[in-house]
Amino acid sequence: MKFYLVPILATAIPLFANAYIQFMVNLMLVYVLVTVGFNLVLGNLGQLAFANTALFGIGAYAAAMLMAHAGWPFWAVIVPAGLAGAAAGFLASVSALRGIRVYYLAIITLAFGELLRWLYIHGERATGGTDGLAVPQSSFFGVALDSETARFYVFLVIVTLVVKGISNLMHSRIGRAIVAIRDNELATASLAIPTGRTIVLAFVLSGFVVGVGGAMFALLIGRVIPESFGLIELILHFAMVLVGGFGSLLGSVLGAVALTALPEYFRGFPGLYEMFFGALVIVFLLVQPRGLSALVAHWWPALRDRYYREG
Amino acid sequence: MFALQLALSGFAQGAIYALVALSLCLVYRSTTVVNFGHGDLVMAGAFVVYLMVVLAGAPFLISAFLAIVLLFALGVLIELGLIERIKAGPHIGFALMCIGFGYVLRGIARAGWGREVLPMPRVLDFPPLLVGELVVAGDSLAICATIAVLLVAFFVLFYRTRTGRVMQAVCQSERGAGLVGINVRAFHGVMWGTGAALGAAGGVLIAPITLLHPGLGATFLIKGFAAMTLGGFGSFGGAVAGGLILGVAEQLVGGYLSTKLIDITAYLVIILVLALRPSGLFGTTVAERA
Repeated sequence: MKFYLVPILATAIPLFANAYIQFMVNLMLVYVLVTVGFNLVLGNLGQLAFANTALFGIGAYAAAMLMAHAGWPFWAVIVPAGLAGAAAGFLASVSALRGIRVYYLAIITLAFGELLRWLYIHGERATGGTDGLAVPQSSFFGVALDSETARFYVFLVIVTLVVKGISNLMHSRIGRAIVAIRDNELATASLAIPTGRTIVLAFVLSGFVVGVGGAMFALLIGRVIPESFGLIELILHFAMVLVGGFGSLLGSVLGAVALTALPEYFRGFPGLYEMFFGALVIVFLLVQPRGLSALVAHWWPALRDRYYREG
Repeated sequence: MFALQLALSGFAQGAIYALVALSLCLVYRSTTVVNFGHGDLVMAGAFVVYLMVVLAGAPFLISAFLAIVLLFALGVLIELGLIERIKAGPHIGFALMCIGFGYVLRGIARAGWGREVLPMPRVLDFPPLLVGELVVAGDSLAICATIAVLLVAFFVLFYRTRTGRVMQAVCQSERGAGLVGINVRAFHGVMWGTGAALGAAGGVLIAPITLLHPGLGATFLIKGFAAMTLGGFGSFGGAVAGGLILGVAEQLVGGYLSTKLIDITAYLVIILVLALRPSGLFGTTVAERA
């Protein structure tokens, strides 16, 4: 029950927020999913991966194409966008079944992400090329999603369900297997856990969550362009996971909420964005490698992550 | 004839990939850190040369020397100031640290130049060499010659001298090397410096023949990885061969299939090699190394 306290309190936000702040809060919800999904691979599985922007992008493009070309309503594209992300997660990590790990897998995900971005740019007929694809106004079971407030409530429900689902999953056999692989793959394999398949499963789950985030992003921004899913975006995802806290669901939420609004301040100062987030990553690695969630847990032990590990 | 001409022009580009891959490989072998910020060090080398030549009016050779020395110092600083300090943490931290400083460098470059693409005077503009019907561009020749010298120097140093044996010892076992009195920490610093300097040399060489932009680093990082993967991750000779093959392959793909595909040749190489033969063309070791 404690879990639902935050979303219930959050329902009051539209009472205080103007349209701009409401937009930012909606964007935060998008990034909560992005970070939760990324953290599953980066923090829980302990596998370096660069494909997160690709998963995000494929979810956004899948949703945008279904809404723009096929005229589907928003509620109908959420699951397909998640599945598209999951499929991309599978493709990015399938070589893990052949024993490819650590840096090799990371490099494959890097190549895979850039390959997808190339496809967005050159697949003009489906994706609109560099101009991107405009997303039409949509509805959610008959309710028009034309205001930030309407979108907020829909997003809040989606995010709450997905985060709760991931939370339950992490406390299940599968979740424990994923964490066990991070800590010692050989020992995990000796418990008859198929480690290769579990790694792929983690990427698939991560792809689903991030893909759903992509669908929300497409609806919120109203246009998907290849530029949104490039290397500039990638450092933001890394920073959110690190600042929030590796392997912690609470951390993912904290990281997303803390950093979502920042890029707005760097508009008009080219380069400052990259410098800031690069430096943020360095500072957190040196000073607070366990992120904000460890700080919070220090002052409020009830929130301590069950899989938190010193050192 | 067309194919041969394409291969020739790909060779110079490939030589630069080889240098980048070799320097990546050097840092990886000697410190087990895969430097995901390496491309940005290459970019930094190119930008320092550009700054010196175009804005300060310095001669190319002096600028090149300065860029390499500066990047060597930066490499040592990164190892001792950043990487060494998170040694106790999980391995993923190293990669994030490299990504972090890479983005900082990229941001600095972008802050100075914005979104413009910068052309540089062709300082390596030697007259082209004609072999039969083949044209060998003068700057390609200069690049290949410089890289050949660097490579020979590297391999002699690594495999034929006493210093090289110390390097090999640390690569094989840090603990063992420490026990026989080798200063492993200083060694790591020097290796990072050398890696950064070699990468910067690649940047210096491409500066006069390409358009500079802050995103250059990401491109070179992926090409370096592709070359390394192709040759067998962690093999020095493989990295060089992989770089050359990649450079030639890109030109052939561009000439016979489509120029659009040049950009993704490296990605496809990475994916195909790791899917079909993870140990690369020349690698003998297993694919996994934590």
